[in-house]
Amino acid sequence: VTPWLRRCAAVWRSSRIHDEIAEELQFHIDRRVEDNMRSGMSPDEARADALRRFGPRLRIHEDGYDVRRAAWSDTVIADVRAAARVLAKQPGFTSIAVLTLALGIGANVAIFTLVDAVLLRPLPFREPDRLVRVFDDLGGASAADVGMSVPEFEDLRDRSGVFDEIAVIFPASTALSGGDRVERIELLGTTPNYFELLGVRAALGRVYGQAEWAPGFIDGAVISNGLWTRQFGGDPHVIGRRIRVDEDAYTIIGVMPPGFRHPGQSLNGDIDIWAAAGFVAPPFPSPPVRNQRILPGAIGRLKSGLTLQQAQRRLDAAAAQLQLTYPKEYPAHLRWSVRLQPAQTALTGNVRPTLVVLLAAVSFVLLMVCVNIAGLLIARSSARTREFAIRRALGASRARLVRHVLTESLLLALAGGAAAVLALVAAQQALIAMMPADLPRLTEVHADWRTLTLALTLAIVTGALFGLVPAVHASALDPNRDLKEGGRNGGTQSLRQSRSRAVLVMLEIALSVVLLTGAGLLIRSFSAMLQQRPGFDPNGLVTGQIWIPVPNNPKANRYLQSAPRAALARDLLGRIGALPGVEKAALGRSNDIPFLTNVRSPFPFSFMDAGATPESDHAADFGGVTPGYFDALGIPLMGGRVFTDHDGDGAPRVAVVNEAFVRTFSPQREAIGRPFRDAGGREAQIIGVVGDVRDDGLDAPPQPHVYTSIFQNPAFALAVFVRTRADASTVQQALTRTIHDADADLPVFGVRTMDDLMSASMVRRRFALLLMSLFAAVALLLAATGVFGVMAFIVGQRRQEFSVRRALGAQARDIVALVIRPSLILTAGGIAAGLVASTVVTRLMSKLLFGVSAGDPLTFTVVPVLLGIVGVAASLVPAMRAASVDPSAALRAE
Amino acid sequence: MGRNTPGTPDTRGTPDLPQGTLDMLVLKALSMGPMHGYGIGQRIQQLAEDLLRVEEGTLYPALYRIERRGWIDSEWGLSDNNRRARFYTLTRAGRKQLAVETADWAQLTFAIGKVMQAS
Repeated sequence: VTPWLRRCAAVWRSSRIHDEIAEELQFHIDRRVEDNMRSGMSPDEARADALRRFGPRLRIHEDGYDVRRAAWSDTVIADVRAAARVLAKQPGFTSIAVLTLALGIGANVAIFTLVDAVLLRPLPFREPDRLVRVFDDLGGASAADVGMSVPEFEDLRDRSGVFDEIAVIFPASTALSGGDRVERIELLGTTPNYFELLGVRAALGRVYGQAEWAPGFIDGAVISNGLWTRQFGGDPHVIGRRIRVDEDAYTIIGVMPPGFRHPGQSLNGDIDIWAAAGFVAPPFPSPPVRNQRILPGAIGRLKSGLTLQQAQRRLDAAAAQLQLTYPKEYPAHLRWSVRLQPAQTALTGNVRPTLVVLLAAVSFVLLMVCVNIAGLLIARSSARTREFAIRRALGASRARLVRHVLTESLLLALAGGAAAVLALVAAQQALIAMMPADLPRLTEVHADWRTLTLALTLAIVTGALFGLVPAVHASALDPNRDLKEGGRNGGTQSLRQSRSRAVLVMLEIALSVVLLTGAGLLIRSFSAMLQQRPGFDPNGLVTGQIWIPVPNNPKANRYLQSAPRAALARDLLGRIGALPGVEKAALGRSNDIPFLTNVRSPFPFSFMDAGATPESDHAADFGGVTPGYFDALGIPLMGGRVFTDHDGDGAPRVAVVNEAFVRTFSPQREAIGRPFRDAGGREAQIIGVVGDVRDDGLDAPPQPHVYTSIFQNPAFALAVFVRTRADASTVQQALTRTIHDADADLPVFGVRTMDDLMSASMVRRRFALLLMSLFAAVALLLAATGVFGVMAFIVGQRRQEFSVRRALGAQARDIVALVIRPSLILTAGGIAAGLVASTVVTRLMSKLLFGVSAGDPLTFTVVPVLLGIVGVAASLVPAMRAASVDPSAALRAE
Repeated sequence: MGRNTPGTPDTRGTPDLPQGTLDMLVLKALSMGPMHGYGIGQRIQQLAEDLLRVEEGTLYPALYRIERRGWIDSEWGLSDNNRRARFYTLTRAGRKQLAVETADWAQLTFAIGKVMQAS
C-alpha cells in the first residue's frame, strides 16, 4: 500500500461523509486504482482510468444511484426525503440553523404583523379608502385642527359637493350613573349618519341612522362591546335598557362587535357609547353661530371617483368663497382652511416612522441570519465536496446537485418558519401585551393566514437566498479535480469557499454596523430625552380628573353658569387640601395635566393692543388653575405674579403665560400687562410669566400655554393635583370619597402618579429603543459567530502551513498575527461598508431622533470600535488554536 | 490509454451483455460466497476469462435493484486489505431465482444454438 493511498484513506476516514453509496463507490474506485497500479500504471494514470470507468461514457443514472436510498423517482418528494435524511444526520448543525432562522423569521413576522395591522391593512369599514378626516386650520394663527362650527359643518355637508356623507365626531367625557357609583365613560357624539357612513352594523340590536335625525340628542344610544361586558355583564337582553348618561336618559338600541373601534382619537381610552345629535338644539347653541367652533372634528366619505387632491381643491375654492361671503367671521389674515387627510393616515400617521424603522431593522436581522447560515452551509459543503464530486462523476447533472442543495436549504428555512409560527402563535398574547398600549389599532393585531403566508414566503425567500452560494459551489465542482482534492486543504474548491465566506462575513459586519448605529442613535436620543427637565417636580405628585356632567337640558344643569362651578372648585380645593397626607393641592383643567397629550387643542386669541393686524392673531392652549397650582407642581414664576384667591368673579380677568408663549407671541414686547381677547370674546390681561412645562412629552418642545384663574374661567373637565407621600391607589380612594361627599354625581377618574404619566409618555420611544437594541444585540452576536466561523475555517485549511511555519521556527505570536491580520482586514472592510450604508440609512430615522443628529459623531465612533473589538475577539480563539498546532503532526500526515 | 496489461485487460472489444443477463451473472457470482461490488465485477470477468466485462455504470444499479427484489442482502464488512466495504450475499430467494434462471438460460441457449446451427 503506497503512502499516497494511505493518505487518501486517511482523508477518507477523516472526512465526514456518511453517504454509504459514496463510500461503496469510493471503495470500488480505490480498488481499481490499486489494481491499476499493481499492473504498472502511474498513480495519476491509475486514478484517471478508475474515474473514466465511472466517467461520462459509463454514467450510472442518478435513478440507479438512489435506488438504495429511497424508492427513488425523480420527484420533489424524493428530493425532500433525501434532504431531510441529510439534515437529520447532523442534528447540531440543523438545530442551530433552524433556531437562528426561527428567530429571524419570527421577528420579521411579528413586526410585519404589527405593521400590517396598524399601517397597511385598510380600516375595517366599507370602502375605507374613501374615508377622510376633516380638519379646520387657522394658518394665520399657526393653529391646526381648531374644530369647526355647526354652520361650517353644514356647508361641508350640503354645499361642498365633495362628500357622499360627512359626520360630526365629538368625543366627550360623560358620567354614567346607575351603578354602585357614578362612572366616567367616554361618549362619542355624532350626527345620526355616522354608522351608515362607516358601513358598520351592531352585533346586537341596531345602530342609529340618518332617518332618526333630530335637532338635539336622540334617545337611542349604541354601546361598545367593552362597556357591555364591563357594565352590563354581557347581558343579551340589554337592548331597550334605559341608562343615565350625564343625567340624561338614553335607551340602549345596539351593542357594537368587539372588533369595532372608532377610527379617530379619543380622550381617555376607547369610546364606550355612541349618541347621535343634530347639534342645532340644546345643549348646543341654538341657533348655531358661525364663528363658534364647538365641533372638534368630522369624518367624511368622499364622493366615489373623487381623488383626495380633487376634493381638497374644491374645498380650497369653497373656503375662499366663504371668506368673501363672511369677511367678519373669516378675516383674511387668519387663513381659515379645511384640510382633508385619509382616515387611516390620520389615525396611524404618528407611529408610521417608528414602525417603518423597526421593519427595516428587523429585515436587516433576517438578512444577517441568511448570511450566517449561508456561511454555515459553505463550511458544511466543503466537507461534502467529495460526496458531490463523486455524484458528479456518477452522472448527476449540475442542475441536479443545485436542486439537491437548494432542497436542503429550503427544508431548513421551512422548518425555521414553522418553528417561528408556532412560537408566535404560542406567545401572541404576551407579545401584544408588550406593545405600547396607546398604539392605534392595537386590537387589530393578531396572527392569521396573512401571518402564515408571510412566514412561508420569508422561509422560501431566505432559503433560496442562503442556499444560493453553496448551490453555486456545488455546481462549480469539477469531478476530476475535486475528487482528487476531496476536501483536502488548500484545494481550489475550498479557496473558492473561503473567499465566499469572507465576503459573507464582511456583509454581516456591515449589516451589524447599520443596526448598531441605528440602536446607538435611539439610545442617544433616549438619554437626551431623559436629560430634559420636565419644567415641574413630578416626584410625589398625583393627578386625577373630575368630570362635571353636562345634561342636554340646560335647566337640569346645576353647573351651567360659571359661578356654581367656581364655587365647586373652591369647595373641592378646600376638601382635598384637608385630606390627611396631602401636602399641597391644586385644581386645573384636564389640559393643565402635563404629559396628557390628547386633551389639548389650540384656542385662538388676539392681542388687543396690536389692532386687527396679522400679528394680533394667535392660538394657544388655554387652562384654568387655582392659585396654588404653580406652587403645587413646582413651576417657577419668572416674572409678574400668579393668581390669588381674589382673582375671581367680578375682579378684572387675568392670565399667566409660559415662557414659550412669550418667545412665540411677544418676543419684542413686555408680555406682562398685555391685554388679549380669546375666541369666545373674553378679555384678560397678562399678569405673570411662569417656566415652561414639557406638556407633550420630554422630547417635544414646550407649547405656548395660557393659564387663567379657575375662579374666573371654570371648566367642566377638571384636574386635581395632590402633592403627597401616599401612593396613587390610596389617593384615589381618598379623592373619590371626598369628592363624592361634595357631589356624588361627579365621576373621578384617571388617578395616576406623575411619574407614571411621564413614563407612559415615553412608552413608544422605549418600545422602539428596546426592539432596536435587541436587534442590534442579535446582529452583534451573528457577526461575532460569523467572524469566528470563517476564521476557524481558514485556520483549519491552513493547519499544515502553520505547522510547517512552526517547524521552521515561527513563534506562536507570529502565527496568531498571521490569523488576526486577515480578520482585521475583513472587519475593517465590513465596518467601512457599514458606515457608508449607515449614513444613508440613519437619515430615514430622523423622525425618531431627539437631541442628536443622524450623523452623531459619538455613535459613529463607538460602533466601529465595538465591532473592531468583537472582530478581533472572535478570531482570537481560532488564532490560538492555529498557534498551538504541533509542528511535527502535519508533517507526518504529509 | 489502451495499454494492455495482465491485471486490467482492455475489454472494450468484448460483446455487450444481453438484456437481463447481468442480474443472473451477479447471482451466480454471489453463489460462490459473499463479495463486494468490485469483487463481483472481477469475479464475473475472471469466470468469463476476460471475455466479458461488467461496466461499473450498470453493475451498481443492478446490485441495488436486485437487493430491492430481495434476492441479495448487503452488510458492511472488512475487505482483504482491511477497508470498509459493502458485502453482498445471496438470500434463499436469490438461490431459488438463480436455479430458475440457470434452467431458463440452459433451455434458451440450447434452443438458440439449435436455430443458429441449422443449415
